[in-house]
Amino acid sequence: MSLWPEPAARCQKTQGWFELRGKPSLRSKLSIVVATAKMRLSLVSRYKGQLFIEMLIPIVFASIPIMLGRATGGDAAAANFESNTGTSDYVAYMLIGSVTFMIVSYAFWLVGYWIRFEQETGTLEAIYLTPTSRFWNAAGISLYSAIRSILFGTLSYFVGALIFGINPFRGALLLAGMFILVGLVPLFGMTLLFGALIMKVREANSLVNMMQWGVSLLMGVFFPILVFPPLMRTLALAFPPTWMVNGVRSSLLGVGYFFNEWYLDLAVLWAFMLIAPLLGYAVFRRVERGIKRNEGVGQY
Amino acid sequence: MEPEIRVEELSKSYYPKQRKGIFKSETTEVEALKSVSLEIKEGEVFGLLGPNGAGKTTLIKCLTTLLLPSSGDAWIHGYHIEDQENEVRAAVGCMLMGERGLYWKLTARENLEFFGALYHLSPSDRKQRSEEIIELLHMEEIADRTVETYSSGQKMMLAFGKSLINDAPVLILDEPTNTLDVPAARELRGLVRELNEAGKTIVYTTHIMSEAETLCDRVAIVDHGEVIEMGAVPELKQSLGRDHVTHIEGVIPEQARAAVDRLPEVTKVATAASNGTTRLSVVSSDGRVLLPKLIEALTDNGALLQQIEPEQVTLEDVFVARTGRTLSEDTRVV
Repeated sequence: MSLWPEPAARCQKTQGWFELRGKPSLRSKLSIVVATAKMRLSLVSRYKGQLFIEMLIPIVFASIPIMLGRATGGDAAAANFESNTGTSDYVAYMLIGSVTFMIVSYAFWLVGYWIRFEQETGTLEAIYLTPTSRFWNAAGISLYSAIRSILFGTLSYFVGALIFGINPFRGALLLAGMFILVGLVPLFGMTLLFGALIMKVREANSLVNMMQWGVSLLMGVFFPILVFPPLMRTLALAFPPTWMVNGVRSSLLGVGYFFNEWYLDLAVLWAFMLIAPLLGYAVFRRVERGIKRNEGVGQY
Repeated sequence: MEPEIRVEELSKSYYPKQRKGIFKSETTEVEALKSVSLEIKEGEVFGLLGPNGAGKTTLIKCLTTLLLPSSGDAWIHGYHIEDQENEVRAAVGCMLMGERGLYWKLTARENLEFFGALYHLSPSDRKQRSEEIIELLHMEEIADRTVETYSSGQKMMLAFGKSLINDAPVLILDEPTNTLDVPAARELRGLVRELNEAGKTIVYTTHIMSEAETLCDRVAIVDHGEVIEMGAVPELKQSLGRDHVTHIEGVIPEQARAAVDRLPEVTKVATAASNGTTRLSVVSSDGRVLLPKLIEALTDNGALLQQIEPEQVTLEDVFVARTGRTLSEDTRVV
């Protein structure tokens, strides 16, 4: 159908989308996911310098504990480290922790901060005017976050391995990738919860900053969570990124799965995957409705 | 026939916090809409007029599902705004927030195609409609430049174009000519008229009276969250009951003047003569009805007319008469 009817057709009643095509199909909804991810990738592609710097951040982040370990651990550093973590390769251990943390951090910044980003650019109301469920928008942003973080995380890992002189191809790379992919889904669910909090309090930067420190501590970026006191350890185990980073380290470095077998640890992530996105979206919807009852989503 | 838009007793209250120093705050109630009811017919251009802060945008935000009303109901294209949110959104093309509703780091084409996707258009439809809109707005040369490089007017035109991407039966345009220069504003009004002729129902908010007068079939004047007047533009002007004065200059013989006197609509005629020309000031109850009769009476009786100046009653006069304020005054309470 042409956008502007020929004069002969004028004065006939025009029709809305639903009348013309029926309810949107799953394919149409998935197309929104792809379009959203593509749009955000186009946006970020206009900041190429930023992308280069972002790739270096995990390497710099890992360098600090690596250098500290070399300076303070002395000759027995590797042996001490192995007795606590299950691997003597503390360089790879730190680098993997740092890269995984980068992926988690991206999720908080890109998915959790998404609504606030749209609010600040002024496009949030334009999105809310369309007949698209926020679930599919959020899925599109999650896909974008996954593509960006996995791409740059992988690059960081290989460049970091080159700089620190470790073998990046050791261990079960595919299994490590599986832990990241499966772990991302509950993580995105969590970030939706976080996004709801940002919508409510309208303060994103300090919240994300605070969360980053809390997340890096809980997931054990530079140390095994076994060193935590019991209460904190339990809290850390209720947190999907902890399973994600330990799964990756176990696949690549053999530090040991929490349940001894890779498939059991992966099953825990699957369970998180079933619960976290639904819970996150339900809370998000509730907060969103409350905001629409008051001053509206565009207000900040 | 079922109206295209029906609003029944719609009210909306906000509860903003009033800051009282660093730590204290107080919640107050602001009634942005007070029991608004109106009906807009299919194919109508309906104007929402009022000063800044009158409640026009709040009404639009409720109608487009951006805000949930505190009470009342509304239907657009037969769909209820709370129970059938997605259907309402699909039935409406909306220009709100002007240029801020665009991604400035994307090009015009990328913006249109992205929003096309959010309206569930297939990739090929998105491309086709984006192309049609770009062509319609004469933006071919800048369509692949990022929006941040556009002038304010070009951004506004693109924001207008974005509202057309889903080819909806109802178009809601919130102050669409803001920041447009005179020719661009005229072009946009022409497009609005054309889209209306193609069958679209249009809701047009503005605080520029001349725009409403030239474009709208009917208007509602909104003030302090209430519809204070509603009807066709001539009817509203007529409702003031004010005398109309028409000034006529030319060579006007006595018999022509007498013929004017005899017209039943004329209540008074004042005459002034200088340098061989005569100036008549004709007072009547309805200048529009009188004007053709007046011209006929004068020319049939040998008058040579040089200038006719009807004194216009404007919608601004209607607003002033109802509220005691001008439309340029800001009535925001939030």
